[in-house]
Amino acid sequence: MTDNLVFMMGEYEALVPGDRFYAWNHLWLQEDGDALKVGLTSYAVRLLQDVFFLDWTIDPNTDVSARQEIGEIESSKAVSSLYAPEDGHVLNFNDAPLDDPSAVNTSGYDQGWLYRFRTEAELLSPGDYLDVLNDGWEDTQRMIKGQLN
Amino acid sequence: MIATKTLTVVVSQTSSKNPARRHLEEELVAALLGDETLDVAVVPHLYNLDSGHSGTRFLQSIGGHLVVLCWMYPRAAHWLLDRADIKGHQADTLLVEEEDEDVEIPEARGVGGVELPDRSIYCLDLGLDSDPQLYLEEIARIGDELRAGIESVPVLDDSVGTVDLMDWIAGSPEPEQLERYLDPLSVLSGESGIEPSKRRWYPVIDYERCTNCMECIDFCLFGVYGVDGQDRILVEEQDNCKKGCPACSRVCPENAIVFPLHKEPAVAGALGDVGALKIDLSRLFGSATGLNAAVSERDVELVRDGRDAVGVSVGMPMRQADSDVTQRDELDDLFDGLDAMDL
Repeated sequence: MTDNLVFMMGEYEALVPGDRFYAWNHLWLQEDGDALKVGLTSYAVRLLQDVFFLDWTIDPNTDVSARQEIGEIESSKAVSSLYAPEDGHVLNFNDAPLDDPSAVNTSGYDQGWLYRFRTEAELLSPGDYLDVLNDGWEDTQRMIKGQLN
Repeated sequence: MIATKTLTVVVSQTSSKNPARRHLEEELVAALLGDETLDVAVVPHLYNLDSGHSGTRFLQSIGGHLVVLCWMYPRAAHWLLDRADIKGHQADTLLVEEEDEDVEIPEARGVGGVELPDRSIYCLDLGLDSDPQLYLEEIARIGDELRAGIESVPVLDDSVGTVDLMDWIAGSPEPEQLERYLDPLSVLSGESGIEPSKRRWYPVIDYERCTNCMECIDFCLFGVYGVDGQDRILVEEQDNCKKGCPACSRVCPENAIVFPLHKEPAVAGALGDVGALKIDLSRLFGSATGLNAAVSERDVELVRDGRDAVGVSVGMPMRQADSDVTQRDELDDLFDGLDAMDL
């Protein structure tokens, strides 16, 4: 198993567990039987803050293409659509965060997983994902700050 | 006529499982039932009611003034009702989103609604606040306002009878079936026996803003739009619309196309830039913006239908596409860390 990594968002330590894959749009993917469980990374959850609404706009067992809008999420401070990370197939959604979206905050790397997914695409290693975070951090700060002003 | 009071208050239920939303609906209905001047009804989410649903027939049967409490922007609700032939004058409510003083709301210069009966429809957005008292006070104010102008209480028009007659011919809901909606507690508890409604997705046109420019019909390649006998644009084949795709709304130069359940306020029927109230992280999670977003959203749906993506080669707006406004401020010490900010 690869070591866990940490990305510093200012003072906040965003954990990047070493036991799974990642996608460019801040999702983690972990092998689960014949599919992958997908969830939001600690980095994404930190930016969202307290999640109180989660909804999917596609049905289970749906083929999706990369960047396709498949759902939406809303927190106390932010709102976002959710997009498929790669071309693939969404098998089913986790009921836990649908019933209580705060599971995304309290157990984002475990109980708060979002959906099960199959893809042929090449995924990012923890180290690759850390590079994505490093490369995008300035831009992300600018984007947030731009919206706050 | 089933409803008999001066004012009917209708709660349009949330389509989500969010317990906070359901709780607000229950609190409101419980309080409203204590007011003898009101008829109170609960219907499934307006957006999911098709023309044959008994909930639609029920709403059509209400002849008097109407307050509709629903989980969408008032503008979206009003034109959704109008489209379902539940027409009236869009009445002002004091319960509105706080406006940013810097944001100018463009003047409406559309073609307007047609054949509006002499009654007022007040649409209140339940997403504004979780405090039921706010809505109850506004409904009380509306009641006073209507009583003050009592001479203008509408006379029920004949169209109601016509609808009923057509229902009989089609074997559609009988009056008893419609009366179920006036037993709001049983609707809320799911014990009313009304038929289920499934989630739907389609555009709603705000005719106060629509100038009939036809850019939407040119842009949409799925045959959603058509024109009526007077060459007025309309949503003709709503079930051709692609779930989640709001592309036509982005190309509309007047912001007249509303997708009531879209998460972007500007698409969902907000006027002005209320999106600024919350940070939109969509770009972080993978979205494109503006006209580019519309083009890629359309391409995704074309490909899913087994057709070829067309990119910018078809149906581009005549106007200059607004260039994406990217606010690039100088980074300063303020943003050393998220902890330093009250995000």
